[in-house]
Amino acid sequence: MELPSVSDRFLSRRRLLQLSGLSGLGLVLGGCASTLYDDVVFKTFEPINQSVEELLLNPQKLIPNFPVSAIEPEALLINSFQGTPKIDPQAYLLTVNGDVNHSFTLSLAELQKMPSTSMVIRHVCVEGWAAIVQWGGVPLRDLIALARPKEGAKYVYFKSADGYYESWDLVSSMHPQTLMVYQKNGQPLSPENGAPLRLASPIKLGYKQSKWVTEITLTKQLYPKKGYWEDLGYEWFGGL
Amino acid sequence: MTSSPAPAKRSKSPPVPHQTILSKVFHWVNIVSLLLMITSGLQIYNANPVFGGRGGWRFPPLVTLGGWLAGGRHWHFAAMWFFALNLLWYGLYILVSRRWKRRFASEADLKVLQKGSNPKRKAYAWHRVLYTAVIPILLLAIFTGLGMYKPAQFHWIVDLFGSWQALRVIHFISVPTVMLFSIVHSFMALRVGGLRLVNSMFW
Repeated sequence: MELPSVSDRFLSRRRLLQLSGLSGLGLVLGGCASTLYDDVVFKTFEPINQSVEELLLNPQKLIPNFPVSAIEPEALLINSFQGTPKIDPQAYLLTVNGDVNHSFTLSLAELQKMPSTSMVIRHVCVEGWAAIVQWGGVPLRDLIALARPKEGAKYVYFKSADGYYESWDLVSSMHPQTLMVYQKNGQPLSPENGAPLRLASPIKLGYKQSKWVTEITLTKQLYPKKGYWEDLGYEWFGGL
Repeated sequence: MTSSPAPAKRSKSPPVPHQTILSKVFHWVNIVSLLLMITSGLQIYNANPVFGGRGGWRFPPLVTLGGWLAGGRHWHFAAMWFFALNLLWYGLYILVSRRWKRRFASEADLKVLQKGSNPKRKAYAWHRVLYTAVIPILLLAIFTGLGMYKPAQFHWIVDLFGSWQALRVIHFISVPTVMLFSIVHSFMALRVGGLRLVNSMFW
């Protein structure tokens, strides 16, 4: 499978590295040393934290829904790494492929004909804010079931129309509340929020929930490119 | 009437305060891990200030650890193990050794604060009450932090505090509380036992 290159985002990556070098550790350690220690700390403790996250994740446990009256329409902030891509919903196609027995492509109309699920959950951003949102769409596990994964498929990659890319563990992808949604707060999904189709789930941080998804690829292994933000330093599992 | 034993002869200078090695280890690990938790926590705070959101005031880089949000998170979620497990083993230690009865605030201290007239004994009681009271505050920081770290798996923790914002505020309040505690605790220790007491806790 093909994943977009990070090199064309060189400037933003360099800016981040500069920022990390400039701000540093302040009181405890100085300047460049921070990035070095940060790397050691991350490589030492992230595997431990990830095991705990995987242990905590109950694959079938439903996260309780909020009442519709609890929805916070203003609280859901817009984040993207380079604006909103222009997509014609009529021409839009979702491809499901990779280590599956049956690759297929669906139009938005075909997706909307599939049995849908609605949930009112808390969307939690890595930045610290959260918003209670209603999402409506197709459970990802239904799409994966249609594709009939090959034995050994353990990861799911998501490619977006704007070049964003993400990867998930299959267990979290098969959670009943992990949805490919086309509806938000009772309305059709808006382009800024990821229309025509985006990921939504109560069990992962916001940056895992790709907008404008065009391709879902099952894989047997995790590639060095794990996701746009992960490749810049964020945690891969990002479980809630 | 029974005869009371003769009062023990008092030496002129009080005995040198003594702390067990385990207490010193706890105290050190607690200070260092709290420093890491606070500085990395302020880095995370800056990504979306608890007060004011994206337009809110941010902490200067001098007091933040990690360089950017991801770095701050890495430090925070590494130091949390030292901070929490340190409290855990120390809690078991004072429970098993029954130190919680002798070395922490007791009814006697509360009585002294209400009725006592000896200012030295009163200051000592305040000192004990203060360092006892900080323990539930540290535990609350872990509890609220766990709620924010895994809000789906521990949704009941978030529910307990009413809202996400309330949870964030209470988690954040532990920073000024701990800083204020550190200052007052240091002065109280100096007042109660002088440098000899302070040194006994560190070396």
